[in-house]
This record gives sequence, structure tokens and C-alpha cells, in this order.
Amino acid sequence: MDFLNPVLNGFSVVLEPTNLLYCLVGVVIGMLIGVLPGLGPAATIAILLPLTYGVEPVTAIIMLAGIFYGAQYGGTITSVLLRLPGEASSVVTVFDGYQMARQGKAGTALGLAAIGSFIGGTAAIIGLTFLAPLVAGFALDFGPPEYSALAMLGILLVATISGGSKVKALIAASVGLLLATVGRDIFTGESRFTFGSLQLADGIDFVPIAMGIFGLGEILYNLEERHRAAKAPSKVSNVWPSRGDLKHASGAIGRGSVLGFFLGILPGGGATIASMASYAMEKKRAKNPERFGKGAPEGVAGPETANNAAATSSFIPLLTLGIPANATMALMFGALLIQGVTPGPQLVDQEPELFWGVVNSMYIGNILLLIMSLPLVGIFVRILRVRAAILAPITALITLLGAYTINNSMFDVTLVVVFGVVGYLMKKFGFEPGPLVLAFVLGELLESSLRRSLLVFDGDPTGFFTRPISATLLAVFVLVAVLPGIRSAIAKRKGTTAAGASATDITNNIKEKV
Amino acid sequence: MKHFPTRRAILGTASAFTLLALTACGGNVGGGAAAGNSSKYPSGPVTLTVGQAAGGSTDLIARALAEGAAKTLGSPMPVVNKPGANGALATKEVSGKPADGQELVLLTASLITITPLAVSADEAVNIDDLDIIAGLSQDDYVLVASQQSGFKSFKDVTDAGRNVTFGTTGVGTGSQLAQTVLFKQANVKGTDVPFDSGKPALTAVLGNQVELATIQLGEAMAQIEAGKVSPLLVFSEERNSFLPDVPSAKEAGYDVPVAQYRAVAAPKGTPQEVKDKLLASFQDTFKTDAYQEFNKKNLLTPKELTGEEVVTEWKGYAEKYKELVGKYDISLGGNK
Repeated sequence: MDFLNPVLNGFSVVLEPTNLLYCLVGVVIGMLIGVLPGLGPAATIAILLPLTYGVEPVTAIIMLAGIFYGAQYGGTITSVLLRLPGEASSVVTVFDGYQMARQGKAGTALGLAAIGSFIGGTAAIIGLTFLAPLVAGFALDFGPPEYSALAMLGILLVATISGGSKVKALIAASVGLLLATVGRDIFTGESRFTFGSLQLADGIDFVPIAMGIFGLGEILYNLEERHRAAKAPSKVSNVWPSRGDLKHASGAIGRGSVLGFFLGILPGGGATIASMASYAMEKKRAKNPERFGKGAPEGVAGPETANNAAATSSFIPLLTLGIPANATMALMFGALLIQGVTPGPQLVDQEPELFWGVVNSMYIGNILLLIMSLPLVGIFVRILRVRAAILAPITALITLLGAYTINNSMFDVTLVVVFGVVGYLMKKFGFEPGPLVLAFVLGELLESSLRRSLLVFDGDPTGFFTRPISATLLAVFVLVAVLPGIRSAIAKRKGTTAAGASATDITNNIKEKV
Repeated sequence: MKHFPTRRAILGTASAFTLLALTACGGNVGGGAAAGNSSKYPSGPVTLTVGQAAGGSTDLIARALAEGAAKTLGSPMPVVNKPGANGALATKEVSGKPADGQELVLLTASLITITPLAVSADEAVNIDDLDIIAGLSQDDYVLVASQQSGFKSFKDVTDAGRNVTFGTTGVGTGSQLAQTVLFKQANVKGTDVPFDSGKPALTAVLGNQVELATIQLGEAMAQIEAGKVSPLLVFSEERNSFLPDVPSAKEAGYDVPVAQYRAVAAPKGTPQEVKDKLLASFQDTFKTDAYQEFNKKNLLTPKELTGEEVVTEWKGYAEKYKELVGKYDISLGGNK
């Protein structure tokens, strides 16, 4: 079969010893930083970006992807054992996971989470395998107008769906868009906001911004939080859940896989929202919802499955359209660009080995993670003893060293420091850094595609509606922009929204609760 | 280099050490050259700075050259990428280094001949601030048409008598200059759509978003051979040996000789014996099979000139382009 050949070739790429090794390294680092509260996958990938410079593109992305989904497994451990979510996407796991641990069922909770994560992740890879070539079939139909529409939709979704204050997210996104305008105008050669500096002629590079805001900013912010005195974690025994527990959780795992997969594809979606939505869904479906928050196994299995499925499926928009769905994917985007690979609809055809190598590496990575999460969980619990006072200076040093090596430029190091301070202040004042970084990435794409489209349309903006793909995307854009207003109007009239609502409804509900 | 830190990484249990070990191999590019004033040249590694990102054609040329020259020179020649401002950043930095031949830069002709037409004077690079050591090769531009446009020759374009859309590889590039001048000379009305580089411009032609584009031959060849785009003209003065059936713009009756040339330069005031030694070592490299094979594989036409020849030729082109742009009232910057 023609379709299967590149997929199978992808396996031979993964099974090269170097790639297997980097996959292992990636998932181990992912588990580690998942366990360590504070340092998230985005920060870690930002810090390690310069490393990808020296290795093959496939190998680099396999490792970075491993960090990302590995962190979803690791984040569970501290949620269950210490009531400290290691990752934002494991926040809801705390509710029932910690209760289960107090009832002496810590092992069961971790086991369920690991099995759920494995199933969710694997299901999403299979979905990715079939969906990606489908999208890629339209590759050449994606011209400047389509990219303009996609970028607009992406920025809107990122600013409105991400957790926290919407106004603050919009402000951060605007700053990101503004930063994207720095540099020589690619249409006229005019210098914009460069202040006569040749260093800024090409604009601000994405990597120093990401390393500063996610890496250094994160480290600085964590230094402030000194409450991490190591508590004695609960004893972990019996990680293999009983047949009864599994049966109990199987529905939650199935629903979590599907929900997570679709929420992960949405721009602005991703693991955190998927886990929250799954928790809300499980609670809503349960016959006796009062069990939730008191150690319900579904409350652990559902969200943990969903966050892993979403982590995997968020690769779909990046690898097939070149549009990062969330901040971590924006970093993957940066990593691919460093490698001279532009993610987009052409990727599947032009770089089948890279595409399928990365996708198939996730099967291996998930198996490795399942092994690490079940029998080896005790080792990772011990990592919790590493003190912030040791970790922070070392990671800061690595970040700055790494920043220099990208372009051999001290200017980049200065940029990282500046954006590190910006990132720290943003977190301190409750601004999510995600919308800024994503708007920065998409802003460049939006500006150039929009201007290019208008040139092609001879200055006529109605041209966007004459092309089927861009017209559809713009219709969705309008829908997303207008829907919240309409919905609240209906809600006011009816009092409450109807049950059995769509995924976005649930997300909104949960946001009000969390 | 790659495997060693990885092995350490697995052994490490604390994540901090894992991170440290992994990043240790990120910094393998630098390596400061020991600048000495001894009459014996070279005194340590000779750094070749490239103003473009690693993996691009300019970078590949630098690496192929450095590999050969390191042998003939008897001293390592590390290639360091400092991308920015189309190479202006790296060139300006190297021109400020001591003129002892330890610091070289790979120079692209467009930076000298075309970029000054698009950017302000203080952002442009002056060839007189450098000593050119040797010319390397010529990289031709080819005008390609999309299938949907139906253009099979440039005559089809002129006969069409309508506005055409054409993609360029960016503002102030040879691609933009070549097309705008050509269309003025041929009296074709066209809309200039700049892309970031050759690859997206080619994609836009493949997807029928623009009808024409001018890109470097190396980037277009695969699609030309696959019959997905039609080559109409090459902008070199003679036909390109890799595309013998495609007429040159000159043959078609247009005066628009544009190609990308590359050369190696050193800071101004480099001693003559150092320049001679460098030139000799490059010329030895040109003769090697490996280097010639590299040129062939990348569709580069050798143009192995001495420093003086390069200066005369590039200054000639700069003059010529300035004249053409003035004559046809073209602005490479924005006045649309």
C-alpha cells in the first residue's frame, strides 16, 4: 500500500540506535521535569533548543517531543503523592489523586494514570497517522490567503481559550504582535523599530524570546516560591490496578482519549484544557458526582488520558499546517526552523522520514514511559529532593550558554536576559506568556501572508471569500469571535446553559470553577 | 561528539546534571582563533564566517571550501554562522577584525551589488572595506512559470498582454531586480509578491498562487525536472550548462545579467603574502575532485577569479544595476 510505505519507513528511522537513544533521553527528561514542580516542558524545551543545532532534525524533534509528552506522565506523580501538580495539565488530578493516596491507593492512582496516559497517547498517534496525510492532500491549495485566515484564527483562539484573564491574554498577544513587526519590512526594505541597529534588521529571533520568557522567566519566578520543602511522599505500592478499578476507569479512559484528541487539535487548546474538560465531563456523567474530590478513580484516569491524547494531537496543526496550537508547539516550530525545516502542509511529502520518524517515535516513547511510570516510579519520587537553590543557577547558566551558541552572538544573550525579566514580571502580574509568544510567531505569518494575499488580489479584500479554504476559515473566525457573546445572551435568557454541551462549553464551565 | 554527552545524560539521575551534560555539546561551533603577529601564517585556526544560516547554499559552499583549504593550508578552518541582515552583520563584523588573515568572511555579490539599492546607505556594505581573496562560483537565477499560467516561453508572457503576478525571493534580492528590470524592458505589467526565500516562492508557483517566480537554479531544478514548473529564462549572460535548452535573457533580447556570485574576503589591509597564500590554497582546493563534484551536485558554475577580478566585476555589476534601476525608474524598496 502506498500510504503505508512511508509510515513503515518511519519506523526504521525510529529504530536507528541514535534516535532510540534520544527518544529515551527525551522521555526521561520529560518525566524528570514533570516531577519537578515549576520547570515545565515549555521552559525545558526552550532551554534545550540550542542543543538541537548539532543533531539531525529527526533526532532533535524526537527528543523534544519526548520531553513534551513525557512531562504529562511525570506531572501526575507529584499531583498524587504530594498534592503538588508538577504540570499545569495535572492540576485536576490533584482533586481525586491525592485523596486516593490518602486512602492508601496511591499505587492504584498512579497505575491508572499511567495506563490511561498510554492509551490516550497511543490513540492520538493513530489519529495523527490517518489525519495528517489527509490535510497534506490540500498542501498546495494553501497559499497566502489561507495562511492569513489560519493565523488570524490561531491568534484569536489563543487569546480567548487560554486559561486566566482574557483581557490580559489579549494584551500579551498584542505585545507579541508588536514585537513581530520589529525588523526590516520584507516588502519594502524599510527598517521598523530597529533604532538603527543592524542586529535588529532581521527582526527579533524567536528563540531568544522563547528562552527568555519561558526559560529564564520561569526560573526567576520559581526562585520566589520557596515553599517546596520536601514533604515525605506517600508510600507507593501496588501500581497495578485491580481488574475492578480498571473496569471502573475504562469508560473514562475511552472518553478522555477522544476528548483530548479533539481539544489538542484546536489552536489554543492543549493538554491543560483537555484535562480540565475531561474532569468536568466525568463528573457530569457520573451517577453519583459527590464521589469526585473524594478519590474517584475516573477523576484520575479521565484527565490523565485526555492530557496525553491532547499533547500528542497538538502536533497535528503544527506538522500539517505549520500553525502551532500552543506555546510548546511554538517552541517545536522554532526547533524545526533552526533545522532548516519549515513545518507546513508540504512536510509529509517533502520530509516523510522526518514526519513519520517523529510520529512513530511517540509509540516507542509511550511504551518507555509506561515502563518508567509503573515499575520505576519510586526512582522518580526521589528526584523531589533536588533543591531549587541548586537547580536554578545551573539551569540559568545553561540557558545563557545555549543562547550564545545559536548565532554565536552576545546580542542574543542580552535579549534572553531582557525577555527573562519580561517573562518574570508577566508571571508575577498574572499575564500568561503563552499568548505573547504565539502571537509573535503567528504575527509574522499573518502580516506577510495578508500583504501577499492583497498583492495577489490586487488590493481587493473580498478575494479572501472567493477561495473555499480561506472563506471557511474566516467563517469559523467570525463564529469564534461572536459565539461567546451570543451564548451569554442566551444563557441570560434561559438562566443556565443546556446540559450535554459541546467541549468548549465544558471548558468555559470549568474555567469558572478553577 | 554527539554520543558522548548522551551517554552521560542517561547515567545522570538528577535532572540538573542531565540538562548540563546535554547542553555541553551545543557549543561545538565557536573556538576563538589565536591571533598572533608572527610572520608565519597561519598562526592557528582560520575562521570563515558565513552571514547566512547553516544548511543554506552559501553555508554549504563555505563548508566545502573550508574542508579543502584546511588541508592545503595545514591549519583548521572552522565555519561560523552569524546570520543577520542578509549577511551584512557578519561582513561588517569581520571587516573590523585584525587584518592578519585569521578571520575571513564568505561574501555574496548581492550584498555589494543589489542590497544597497534597497536599504539606506549606513546599512549597506562597501566592497572597499574588505580585501577580496578569491571568487568562487556563480549561482544562476531561473524564471519559472506555473502550470496553470500556461506560459511555456517568455514570449507567451509578453504576448499575454495582461497583468501577471510574480514571486521574488525578497526585497533587495537578485530575484526581484532581475524580474522587475526584465518586465520593464519587455513592457509586461506585473505585480511583485515578495517571499522570504526561494522555497516559499517556488511553493507559491506550484500552488498557482503566483504565475511566475525567479529562484536560484539549485532550488528549482527538482520541480523543473518533474515538469511541475516551466523554465522560461536564465538571467546569466550565457546559457547555463545544467539547463542547456533554456535561453538566456540576453539571447531573448533583454539586458539584465543577474546571478549570485560568491567570494572569500578578509579585513582591509591584509598583508599581500597572506593573501597570496590563501589564494593559492583555495586554488588548490578548486582542483580537487571533491570540490568539483560539490559544485556539480549543487548546480554551481565555477567562477574562480582572483581578488582583483572580483572587485572589478562586482563594481561593474553594481554600476550596471544602479543604471538600470535609474533608467526604468524602479525602486526595490517600497513605493507601491
